[in-house]
Amino acid sequence: MEDNTPASFVDQLVVPGDVVLDLSKMGNQTIKLGGGLHQDCDAITVTKAGRLRFSKPNKYWVESSQKRYVPCVEDTVLGIVVDSKADNFLVDIKGPALAFLPVLAFEGGTRRNIPKFEAGTLLYVRVVKANTGMNPELSCTDASGKAAEFGPLKDGYMFESSTGLSRMLLSSPTCPVLEALGKKLSFEIAVGLNGRVWVNASSPSTVILVANAIMNSESLSVVQQKIMVDKLLQRIQ
Amino acid sequence: MQEREEAEELVTPGEVLGKGSQLKAGRGAYFLPQNGTVYASLTGRRSLIPPSPLSSDQRPTVEVTGHSAHGAIPEPGSIVIARVTKVMARMASADIMCVGPKSVREKFTGIIRQQDVRATEIDKVDMHSSFRPGDIVRALVLSLGDARAYFLSTAKNELGVVSAESAAGATMVPMSWTEMQCPLTGQIEQRKVAKVGGQA
Repeated sequence: MEDNTPASFVDQLVVPGDVVLDLSKMGNQTIKLGGGLHQDCDAITVTKAGRLRFSKPNKYWVESSQKRYVPCVEDTVLGIVVDSKADNFLVDIKGPALAFLPVLAFEGGTRRNIPKFEAGTLLYVRVVKANTGMNPELSCTDASGKAAEFGPLKDGYMFESSTGLSRMLLSSPTCPVLEALGKKLSFEIAVGLNGRVWVNASSPSTVILVANAIMNSESLSVVQQKIMVDKLLQRIQ
Repeated sequence: MQEREEAEELVTPGEVLGKGSQLKAGRGAYFLPQNGTVYASLTGRRSLIPPSPLSSDQRPTVEVTGHSAHGAIPEPGSIVIARVTKVMARMASADIMCVGPKSVREKFTGIIRQQDVRATEIDKVDMHSSFRPGDIVRALVLSLGDARAYFLSTAKNELGVVSAESAAGATMVPMSWTEMQCPLTGQIEQRKVAKVGGQA
């Protein structure tokens, strides 16, 4: 019953303690371990419950969905400004520590045109540095220094979701919920990988409908999502 | 080295040590002109120091040595061993444990600023690849610093991380002045490593 080939665990649900790979049986390859996996001499054990994923040529990781976010470099997240200090804004990104957003990390940012964010402002930002034990560092520009949609989000409605739902909303091809909603309604949406979603539309009923549809769609399959969206849309039309 | 042999009494702050006409106030004691009496200002043992024969004032000096007075105190220029407690973007803070060969009796905090980590390319220093919380570092005290912490420097070959634990929990082996390797997993982690050992 025990099949020790690594292919058997890929795309399966794994729980902490499962030994998914045995390096001594794998030959001389370099394997890259992502989140949720831990190396114990020759055995690779799982430390987070989720699905084991594999991507060619040699990357393994565990995909899990939680409410709490662990900051990673190059993630785009939605943060809420908590405080502003001389050099940084303190931003809450649902992680273990508050993140710092340098005051100059904006396109064309100089000491003379520092933006003024009040406590409670919602920002779409990118994580630049995320080391364990240190506060993460954010930026409102992309890698080349352009603004690229980062910055404060005005109006709209923000709600929280799990990290797994955020990843599903951002997957390509487009997530079925968003595709079905986009055919009938027009709205603006920003998804943060830290489990926050922001929706804006011209009328409040559209906003509420989109938010409810997304919140309901987490555990539904593709077909079920389309049916759910159709039912919701019938109610208002 | 037994202090009990000297049969000195324990005094507390505010206790009368003697009259100002007979005693001079030394360290840990003070003289109140209104009363003409010498009081203690620390908790500890009092000791009398005889006057030097050359001075005109022939009163002995009374001193009170507190419990932490015989511990070491970091002075600018001394080499200290410290444990890193927090690493931030531009500095790392550390708990000073030993000054030279002696351990300290009370808590001293030191800060290693980004520009004091190494001697070359000081503006490109990444604090996270120089220190991690829990590392033991050998550092030089630059100055008394501000009210919160001493300023420390590791900008020499023989200063830096002396002992560090890897993410897997094993004590790492130094490989070069920038890298240490974990013996259990083989992973290489970056630190500012001190050059330990004799001439070679």
